[in-house]
Amino acid sequence: MSILAASSTTATFVAPHVEFGKLSPMLIAFGTATLGILVEAFAPRKQRYGIQVGLALVGIAASFAAVLALAGTTASVVAQGSVAVDGTTLFLQGTILVISFVAFLVIAERKTDQNQDAFAAQGASVPGSAAERETTRRGWQTTEVYPLLMFSVGGMLLFPAANDLLTMFVALEALSLPLYLVCGLARHRRLLSQEAALKYFLLGAFSSAFFLYGAAMLYGYAGSVNLAVIAQHVAHPTAGSTLLYTGVALLGMGLLFKVGAAPFHMWTPDVYQGAPTPVTGFMAAATKIAAFGALVRVLDVGLGVNSAENVWRPVMQAVAIITMIVGGVLALTQRDIKRMLAYSAILNAGYLLIGVTSTTAQARAAVLFYLPVYGVAIIGAFAVVTLVRDAGGEATDLSRWAGLGRRAPIPAALLAVFLLAFAGIPFTSIFIGKFAIFQAALAAGSPDLVIVAVLASALAAFFYLRVVVVMFFSDPLPQGPTIAHPSIAVKTALAVAAFATVALGVAPSLLLHLANNSAGILAK
Amino acid sequence: MGNTGHGETFLFWVGSIISILGALGLIFSKKIVHAALCLCTVMLCLAFFYMAQGAVFLGVVQIVVYTGAVMMLFLFVLMLIGIESQDSLVETIRGQRWLAVPFVLAFGFVLIGVYAHANLPEFVGTDAANAKGGGNVQSLALLLFSRYFWAFEVSSAVLITSATGAMVLTHRERTVPRKSQREISIERFERWGKGEKVSLTGLPNPGVYAQHNAVDTPALLPDGSPSEASVNATLRGRDTVRGFRPLPLPGARRNGAAVASRGDAGNEEVSQ
Amino acid sequence: MTPSYAPVAATGTFALTAWVILLPLAGAAILLIGGRRTNRWGHLLGCAAAIGSFVLGAVLFFALLAKPGAQRSYDQHVYTWIPVPGFTADVGFHLDQLSIVFVLLITGVGSLIHIYSVAYMEHDENRRKFFCYLNLFLAAMLVLVLADNYLLLYAGWEGVGLASYLLIGFWQHKPSAAVAAKKAFIVNRVGDVGLSIAVMLMYTTFGSFAFGPVLNGASSAKVGTMTAIGLLLLLGACGKSAQFPLQSWLLDAMEGPTPVSALIHAATMVTAGVYLIVRSNAIFDVSPNARLVVTIIGAITLMFGAIIGCAKDDIKKALAGSTMSQIGYMILAAGLGPIGYVFAIMHLITHGFFKAGLFLGAGSVMHGMNDDVNMRHYGALRKFMPWTYVTFGLGYLAIIGVPPFSGYWSKDKIIEAAFAQGGTSGWILGCAALLGALVTAFYMTRVVLMTFFGQKRWVPDAEGHEPHPHESPWIMVVPMVVLAVGSVAAGFLFSYHNAFVNWLSPVTGFSEGHSPINTAVLQVVTLVVVALGIGYAYLGYGLQQAPSTPPLGSFATRAARQDLYGDAFNELVFMRGGQYLTRVLVYFDMKGVDGVVNGVSAGLGGSSGRLRKLQSGFVRSYALSMFGGATLLIVALLLVRG
Repeated sequence: MSILAASSTTATFVAPHVEFGKLSPMLIAFGTATLGILVEAFAPRKQRYGIQVGLALVGIAASFAAVLALAGTTASVVAQGSVAVDGTTLFLQGTILVISFVAFLVIAERKTDQNQDAFAAQGASVPGSAAERETTRRGWQTTEVYPLLMFSVGGMLLFPAANDLLTMFVALEALSLPLYLVCGLARHRRLLSQEAALKYFLLGAFSSAFFLYGAAMLYGYAGSVNLAVIAQHVAHPTAGSTLLYTGVALLGMGLLFKVGAAPFHMWTPDVYQGAPTPVTGFMAAATKIAAFGALVRVLDVGLGVNSAENVWRPVMQAVAIITMIVGGVLALTQRDIKRMLAYSAILNAGYLLIGVTSTTAQARAAVLFYLPVYGVAIIGAFAVVTLVRDAGGEATDLSRWAGLGRRAPIPAALLAVFLLAFAGIPFTSIFIGKFAIFQAALAAGSPDLVIVAVLASALAAFFYLRVVVVMFFSDPLPQGPTIAHPSIAVKTALAVAAFATVALGVAPSLLLHLANNSAGILAK
Repeated sequence: MGNTGHGETFLFWVGSIISILGALGLIFSKKIVHAALCLCTVMLCLAFFYMAQGAVFLGVVQIVVYTGAVMMLFLFVLMLIGIESQDSLVETIRGQRWLAVPFVLAFGFVLIGVYAHANLPEFVGTDAANAKGGGNVQSLALLLFSRYFWAFEVSSAVLITSATGAMVLTHRERTVPRKSQREISIERFERWGKGEKVSLTGLPNPGVYAQHNAVDTPALLPDGSPSEASVNATLRGRDTVRGFRPLPLPGARRNGAAVASRGDAGNEEVSQ
Repeated sequence: MTPSYAPVAATGTFALTAWVILLPLAGAAILLIGGRRTNRWGHLLGCAAAIGSFVLGAVLFFALLAKPGAQRSYDQHVYTWIPVPGFTADVGFHLDQLSIVFVLLITGVGSLIHIYSVAYMEHDENRRKFFCYLNLFLAAMLVLVLADNYLLLYAGWEGVGLASYLLIGFWQHKPSAAVAAKKAFIVNRVGDVGLSIAVMLMYTTFGSFAFGPVLNGASSAKVGTMTAIGLLLLLGACGKSAQFPLQSWLLDAMEGPTPVSALIHAATMVTAGVYLIVRSNAIFDVSPNARLVVTIIGAITLMFGAIIGCAKDDIKKALAGSTMSQIGYMILAAGLGPIGYVFAIMHLITHGFFKAGLFLGAGSVMHGMNDDVNMRHYGALRKFMPWTYVTFGLGYLAIIGVPPFSGYWSKDKIIEAAFAQGGTSGWILGCAALLGALVTAFYMTRVVLMTFFGQKRWVPDAEGHEPHPHESPWIMVVPMVVLAVGSVAAGFLFSYHNAFVNWLSPVTGFSEGHSPINTAVLQVVTLVVVALGIGYAYLGYGLQQAPSTPPLGSFATRAARQDLYGDAFNELVFMRGGQYLTRVLVYFDMKGVDGVVNGVSAGLGGSSGRLRKLQSGFVRSYALSMFGGATLLIVALLLVRG
């Protein structure tokens, strides 16, 4: 039979059943983004900023409403087995949307920098050229940033929900590609920003290739990319597991790259430093949530069988330990606040990996709790960084921050709150998060991880507190940086972040219960 | 298993050798056009493999899209940049190559070991898979539009992103309408009338040397000194005018390479 | 008999318990967040929060009063702070006879001092901040006494420490105030460490922080563990209540504004240690050894403080020494066990009245004397400040224990209980308590004589302003009067038909002590001793003028002026000792201790520097590291698989 000729037994195509309701959060996000592209094409330049920001915020809010409406529905696999909509998915999607909303408030800020946002007036103009000056003078803005970031949000919503590796890969690209682009669009220090974008893109493509390679191997092993099918094969092996674990290693590398775990972390400081600071905050918070969601799904759904867990757990634990050590030790000698926060992000990825490797529902709940509280705090921290400015943009060198507490008590105090939370001081949200993760790890029988984590925390307290000391206990520089007065939007974002950080430290039980209730449900 | 015909086996071994040689050529060739051609070879070989395995559609797509469209785009870009231009292949990071070799070898050996030990389940075979939809293309379509419709839809988001991104990064809108030659001329005379020092006849053309024939080569004045005015102001600004300074030694770091390292070590240099 | 701890869920009126705390907390929050905008009415809000809290406390008190004795224990669970499986930390409040007494004292005296401060701090530009801190203190202190578990108690404990630190250093432009604040904070740290270890020990022993499991389980726990917990609790109490050997911060704490000294460093916060011991009575009941140590500490401190009080010319410091000494009485009583718990609390309450009154009186005097605190510059003030004189005088009669003023009822009971301890220790403790009464009578008489009697020894202040003593405004006088009424009547009211004993005994337990000396005889002896003290002071300071500049004095006087060398002791033992210890260690192990400490930090810094080299900034080197990582991942997974 010729392979090209249509056979007489042509199967009739049955249109797939689409669960629009369950897919609505992602549909709304992608729809908003597409609408934004149309706005970009048709709206006059002057009105684009307002329309885009409004559209993005409304889109995120609508998507969040859709998540709320779905809360409590039975866990199910939809879109022909591509998307799992369950408690964990909905919790993470809701978290990503809340975080994105706060992040967009900071991203859209124009008041801190002479009525211009953090992005280059025209991405294509050569840094330092006359065209750049002219476009800046005219107040042009790269408003494409908003639809692009909305695409990214859509991808993030899908990433932790993806139930097969193909969908997961597409989601990975959908969330990463806009970020690569936006990273290169900083208004100030554009060469640094473009360099960061290129690095991020190249390394991201590199890791995506590994992800695909791993997915292919898993397909070879199980004959399917569906996580549930893979899980069945893992539970009842029909073939040797060599391909399985090689595939898992390569796939895992792709995911560990996204969460910023060592030794796949090296892009983090360079990209965090180069990217426009509001975007850095968004990446540090939302990408991490999405990537950990995907990691949890692969490990707990696809490889959640005892025999497999016993294989990957020690390896992931080793990764967690290396990540914590690298993050903690390298952060010690950083002098740039953005790089310092980047290493702190690596360190926190290590803590989260402890939760992931513990594989109990309790540990999963702890991870679910940790992600939003960490995300909100890191967005707040980066938002404060956007306020401390020099002639050439943000003053990120730590020495420039001396005595900030006296010159700008409120921003300094806010940053101190976030840093103290990162350091794990009681009555802050991250303390509870860490506590929950450590407790879960102890219950799961890995005290060694907890010991390393506690030591790393002690180390981390040093460099967090050093910033606090620099801000509050050293004399202000005679020609120190200026403190921008942010708009009400950024003030709101900062207030929300600080409030959440303190309130969830004092009264975390609501969110902990929510995380507990969500963590137990994984659609398979 | 075991239904691989002799012809296919032969094709595989020949094709795989060519393909691997092509891949190595891609990495090691110094001329960028050679690298591009090697990549073409690799992709064509892959297309043959696909077809030999019964995935005719994929094979055709491979040729049309990759070898045809993507590679041609690459070559266009290379033409625009200049076939002559090449990156320095001198490795500046100490130990990079010495570290890379063992890692590559280790990875290769591990993968060879993995495939040697891989215990694959029974293959269904392309024919059986194709039979489901009544043909290769139909089966693919069936999967793409029903089972994987969601991934298919979401990839549209990736495509829109790429298109928008390409525009954002490359499309330069003019801030003022382009002046016609007539307008420029009038303006020049007006400025001359106000006593400004402008050249009414236009600036001299770039020079022509024995070695170079390009806009960055200044014209030589009668006394043999280069005329600065003959070179585009942007090039002058970037300091990339030939003849104003001794020719750079081959292998030295290019201008602007200083920007390229901004890791921690770079950070250290900057901050201390 | 050991009382059992079995609260029922708080409903109805008792659900108001949390609001007692929320009011001042909200006040502090509003004043903090409102910033300068609240300057105009901030002090009024602060007062309103305190008074509101007191009214709620009173409502709760009467609601408790309406219940029979056995049903006066309520627990209000607010929420679960950390509901992680395997570890729960709750936030809940416990209302019973003991905590309500404290609530009334804290909010009652607190309200009075808030009102007093309106006038006292009138010219201070940071008055709003002051009220913010005061409200914060009230909230923290109420958390401390209302907590239904040790973890929350610890939170309140740290909270009052913070408020105390902020208020001692309130005038931080004075270096002495800033130093005093730091000293208080650091010394308190030592005690806090003790308390925190005790709390952790409780958790490992009982698996819970809650009072219920801990107090009910204490009788069946190992005695050794209970002794350890008891001693650690005592260490905490020593820090907070300025007991020997952690007493040194209290005298310096007088750098704070006088209302702070009255509220925090006389009436309430410093008594937290007594509360802690009495609340943990079940633990101390099990361990006689721990109790013995408590009594010894109490006896030492009561002498220590009294002696310091004799030599100080600074009126506030003299009173601070007296506070130390009186708390020593309470700790002593608390250490006596069921025969003493009730009297410790009773003395705590009466002391709250008269000591706060005395401090407010001292503040009033300073107010009239250009903020001069040196008693040698006072004299003859009774004619100029009649209200202050009368109220201060009533407080004085109460503290030295003249019947029927309130100090008589409470202190006398403690002396009796100390003798009733029996055996040699009973005699020693009893005699110490008696001797303390003698010294108390001496130094308090000295204070009164030097301040209100004799001739004017007024001197102009640093800027040359002559003092013009005048009565303080009514808003300061009223709180003093109220407290004076309390100093007069509280003791009698409490003792009437054993009201206080009956009220508290369901919580603390009570057993009648049997003194080896006849009670009547003992009372007479006590009164004689007090009279001797007064007489000796009169000989020294009534018949002859106190010189404006202090005489050299005997060795004892000089020692007492130096706080009995408390600081010198600290320096000698801890600082110098630490230095010598370090030197010795260095001598014996040049590389050892030093090497480890420096090695760790240098190693971390060095490895950080080395690791940084890997972060070269080049994509290809990053990619190589990722590639290597991937290879290692594969190998590791395949190796683990086996």
